[in-house]
Amino acid sequence: MTLFSALLIFVALILFVGAQLFLKHAMESDFRSARFTKCFAIGLSTMTASFFITLGLLQHFDLSYLYPFQGLSVVIISLLAAAILREKLTPRLFFGAALISAGVVLVSLS
Amino acid sequence: MIQKTKELLLNPWFQLVLSVLFVTTSEVFLKRGAVQAPRLPEEVNWTGVSGLASLDVWYGILFVIASFVNWLYVLRFIPLTIAFPLSNFVHVLVPLSSWFFLNEYISAQRWCGIALVLLGVLIVAKPVARMEEKL
Repeated sequence: MTLFSALLIFVALILFVGAQLFLKHAMESDFRSARFTKCFAIGLSTMTASFFITLGLLQHFDLSYLYPFQGLSVVIISLLAAAILREKLTPRLFFGAALISAGVVLVSLS
Repeated sequence: MIQKTKELLLNPWFQLVLSVLFVTTSEVFLKRGAVQAPRLPEEVNWTGVSGLASLDVWYGILFVIASFVNWLYVLRFIPLTIAFPLSNFVHVLVPLSSWFFLNEYISAQRWCGIALVLLGVLIVAKPVARMEEKL
């Protein structure tokens, strides 16, 4: 793996996580507001960008190699939703998210 | 009866279940369609665009769109710290349905991973279920 592909994997993950946060923020606002339009547009475009970068990465790497990184998204999204969107993250919720991440990584390693 | 159905459809937890089921269905259709798709020359084949020739791929796309709409509805009502971990139930359902419908093989290690995901989902879901009961 080159430094460049490592960077692409990282960017795809960040874009995917960012998309979820923006979409969540959009769906909580008034549909006629400028905030909704802006956040929804950003969410949709970052999700699309992440989709195509992942598609490109799949040409060069096995799905099982890329999947663990996607598994990490559960933990990252939970942490960022708590930090940025001020959602409540109990230890129990975090533990559940960590188990799911570990499970996804284990599934893809086999 | 109509009132009951409407209540169910407007329930974000029901929509979350639908979203997960639709994602699983779409994966099975997409896989079936991708296998049927004609092989194109190597230069264009990587895009998977030839899959559009298969009707199954189109069913898959419809289910992807449906699941995205369900997901947006879920986001309006359920915190991301709960909804996103729960949506990972697809990592249990997709392997199970590829085993059941597509006769794919699941190794022992993979079964363990599936069990871990299931456990994580249950841990997230349990306090939520209790919270909902009180409402």
